[in-house]
Amino acid sequence: MKSRLLALAAALGLATTLSAQPALADIAVGYVYVGAKTDGGYNEAQNAGRLYVQKDVPGVKTNFLENVPENAQVTQAMERMIGAGDKIIFATSYGYLSYALELAKKYPKVTFMHCYGDKRAANLGTYSAETYEAMYLAGIAAGKATKTGKIGFVAAHPIPPVLQNINALALGAQSVNPKATVTVVYTGSWNDPAKDVASVNALVDQGVDVVASHVDSPIPVIEAAKKRGIKVVGYHFNDMKFDPQGWLTGVVENWGPVMADVVKQVEAGTWKSEAIHGNLKSGTTQLAPFGPSVEAATRTLIEAKKKEIEDGKLHVWAGPIEAQDGTVLAAKGQSLSPDKIASMDFFVKGVIGNTK
Amino acid sequence: MNIAAWFGLLSIALLMATPVLLAMLGEMLTQRTGIVNLGVEGQMLVGAAAGFAVTYASGSPWLGMLVGALAGMALSSVHALLCLGLGVNQIASGLAIFFLGNGLSAFYGAPLVGQQISGFHSLAHGWLGHLPIVGSFLGQLTSTVYLALILVLLCGLFLYRTQWGLVWRATGESADALRMLGKKPVALRIAGILTGGLFTGLAGAALSVDYTRTWVEQMTAGRGLLAVGLVIVARWNPWLALPVALIYGLSEALALRLQSMGADISPYLLGTLPYLVPLVVLLLSYRASQRGTSMPQELVGVFRGMA
Repeated sequence: MKSRLLALAAALGLATTLSAQPALADIAVGYVYVGAKTDGGYNEAQNAGRLYVQKDVPGVKTNFLENVPENAQVTQAMERMIGAGDKIIFATSYGYLSYALELAKKYPKVTFMHCYGDKRAANLGTYSAETYEAMYLAGIAAGKATKTGKIGFVAAHPIPPVLQNINALALGAQSVNPKATVTVVYTGSWNDPAKDVASVNALVDQGVDVVASHVDSPIPVIEAAKKRGIKVVGYHFNDMKFDPQGWLTGVVENWGPVMADVVKQVEAGTWKSEAIHGNLKSGTTQLAPFGPSVEAATRTLIEAKKKEIEDGKLHVWAGPIEAQDGTVLAAKGQSLSPDKIASMDFFVKGVIGNTK
Repeated sequence: MNIAAWFGLLSIALLMATPVLLAMLGEMLTQRTGIVNLGVEGQMLVGAAAGFAVTYASGSPWLGMLVGALAGMALSSVHALLCLGLGVNQIASGLAIFFLGNGLSAFYGAPLVGQQISGFHSLAHGWLGHLPIVGSFLGQLTSTVYLALILVLLCGLFLYRTQWGLVWRATGESADALRMLGKKPVALRIAGILTGGLFTGLAGAALSVDYTRTWVEQMTAGRGLLAVGLVIVARWNPWLALPVALIYGLSEALALRLQSMGADISPYLLGTLPYLVPLVVLLLSYRASQRGTSMPQELVGVFRGMA
């Protein structure tokens, strides 16, 4: 009885991962998501890419599995997809990397794509977006909007992509508001809405009046900001509808064209494993529409800066850049090295928080 | 820190502690009848999903809270059926409820992710928020915080000040004695489990409908399991549930406050505070107590594998 019950419970737990029906067609592409495809965040941005592929590539069939945890279950999920005929697998969550690498060895004829991964194989490529470029622009909006000069940031973990976004936001804000600070609070989880809300409350009590975030779904942060009547910068996806009044802008990932290119190249037999780094210029990261509170002059300024970044005239990591303690990281006329950017482990001056 | 900062910390603590407090009260009422239900986390998740769904569909957060509570109760009835009806080991049955609630809520809750609800009206602009000195603090709290505080009062009065409360406690202390008095322990235990389910479902709904205004799979993030542990720290006593839940909430709030003040301590170490502090309280309070544990005696059998 006991074991049967546990088996039933386990089956129901697994049911969450078996909701899609992979179909056979010219080329079938499978997507694995760590959360729900409508999370208004990381996973919805990935799923928007899937929908783009569906529209853009003739004859393609896509299928997906949601809520697949970053453990052996993802191996099972991907094998099911491959068994059903998928030729390309988008393993969209960071923690899927080691499992995808294992399967890439086992299925050399299947193409794997991993998001933000730092390892590759002959049949496993990676794609990422330099979201910090857009975060710098959002920082300008935040720097203009804050009255207290205190901006907050709710982050999951102190890892390089998160630190890049925090620093870029601070640099953008300081470019228009030299005294602006960014206070960082870590939740220790990509998905803990209650902690997100508590973090926003803690920040507001410290005088923060603009908040940004880097967790899977920014919705709890936006809802908490709305309750406290402060401004908010979105991340991953355009969530303006949750709080139009408080919304400044957001940093959006636009994976569609990148994914469609991969699918077309695989179909044509020209695909080669590479690490795709999208940016503002390629359109892989974008700025979401402005909220009504953003002044016209600020919008014009941000558009101008965006153009400068796209044209290569403005570099987010161009000196002078000082660390929290005042150490010069890049002098005037210099820039941070690509290595230093990729493995970012410091905060710039004006950021309050810990990097470990 | 000035008085406003202390009030700020306390309001964060109370808001954060409310779902845990409700779940603690529920599990306390269950365990007082001599039954352990480890499925609290699953019941909270089902309550959170159902509460959010009904609030989304009806626009009424109160209706959402009610249905969330009932959903928690419905799931707990499976526990009642398994361990009282079929004699399944309570620990195994509770774990099954945990996984069942987790799977069911994730599966049926998937279409709700990313949906928007309006939640309760803020109390900040009512008469409460305009009181001198404490107004901004009291206005910061939400309807479910006040509901939870009232329920602490009701549970305490019920258990210690009513005839039924005495019978309820006796069920957990000695089912045989109860039988001799002509009462049916099984009926009381069913009531214990279902009431626990009701409270834990409410706890989940408070989390999704009121506190975060969002539903996402596994959003309880272990707080249901934590509540089961905190019942022991609070010695199965509803009056102690509030301070114990507050210790948890304050540790959580303090960890965030220290971070936002730029303290040079790893956020991961700070993140252990909400678990470490209650553990220390547990150790100290057990050392200080001369009377040993206040565990309901019928629970002893559960851990000996007799029930």
